[in-house]
Amino acid sequence: MSELTPDQRTEILERHLHDHGHVDPEDVDAAIAAAESTTGDGPSPALGARVVARAWVDAEFRERLLADPVNTIAEYHPQTVPIAVLEDTPSVHHVIVCTLCSCYPSGLLGNPPAWYKSFEYRSRVVREPRAVLAEFDMDVDPDIELRVHDSTAEQRYLVLPLRPANTEDWDEEQLARLVTRNSMIGTGRPMQP
Amino acid sequence: MDGVHDLGGMDGFGAVPIEADEPLFHERWEGRVWRMLAAVMGSTTIDRFRYTIEQMPPAQYLASSYYERWLWAIEHLAAEQGILDSADQPVAVSRPSPTMPTWDGRFHRGDRVRVRNPVTTGHTRVPRYLRRHVGRIERVAFAWPNPGESAATGTYGEPELVYTVTFAASDLFGTTADHTVTADLGESDLEQV
Repeated sequence: MSELTPDQRTEILERHLHDHGHVDPEDVDAAIAAAESTTGDGPSPALGARVVARAWVDAEFRERLLADPVNTIAEYHPQTVPIAVLEDTPSVHHVIVCTLCSCYPSGLLGNPPAWYKSFEYRSRVVREPRAVLAEFDMDVDPDIELRVHDSTAEQRYLVLPLRPANTEDWDEEQLARLVTRNSMIGTGRPMQP
Repeated sequence: MDGVHDLGGMDGFGAVPIEADEPLFHERWEGRVWRMLAAVMGSTTIDRFRYTIEQMPPAQYLASSYYERWLWAIEHLAAEQGILDSADQPVAVSRPSPTMPTWDGRFHRGDRVRVRNPVTTGHTRVPRYLRRHVGRIERVAFAWPNPGESAATGTYGEPELVYTVTFAASDLFGTTADHTVTADLGESDLEQV
């Protein structure tokens, strides 16, 4: 099969699976369309941003999110694997990775970006996180403790980033627009107002 | 197994390929491969899927894109399950749900533990860069079937405790590293120091 392109191999695979009733091409189309949707109802950075913004404005929700993340995030979307929330503080910053494959909080954020799955990120961020973060234009002060979390088991991680300064008057919806995907992975900060 | 997939801490991969405004799928076939995983996953474990990818010859693994590796694994798992040329549905495998363990484990928060060196050609979720190193138990993370067994059998067995363990990067990668690394490791992967 190696002389065929991935496109051709995919077509052959889908034809075989469809012929025997194991794949419905219309279901494939619908699933791709849902994954590509940016409404923020299904798992996507927009959905993660809503959870983060709520945690910034609602202290009771934040407590629950940290203490019982699976059930708290399930209020937005059901979680099928354990998930832990890592709260950044002024002195501690968290970064997540999966060195062995591509484990990612997909049940909240959707599919991971290509760089997260790259050999470059997977090999380097556990070893030299400050250098890797600099490539994301993120300088982390030497006084800040950096914690890198390797997703080696069936538990996923979400970074709860620091709320940007000068947003005291902002409501949840406005704040959600400042939350970037990378800020929930630890390779970025939320946008500044 | 000591596979090429075990990338954590390796040198030489270069700058992280960060793409602005990247699409969810770069080519049409990638989305179809992504969805067709569901056709094989109902009858096996996530660990067997990962272990199948790990069987790729190293040079091919490094030369393949992310979804090409998925495609390779789905082709192999579909053949293994006999669904490429038969309408028979293989026996369904149900996934454990994310619950917290109710029993006490061998280790407790603050314990110093050494990571075992699993000499196996089977599947393991212990990255090479952590083997034989000493870390500290951060917390009991959750309970989950042993990944090596789930990969070998294609079914989920009895759950074991999984601990989040913290390591000083200076122990792993030399004294200039000033961060910490955490990983989630099964009880059978750890021994008391």
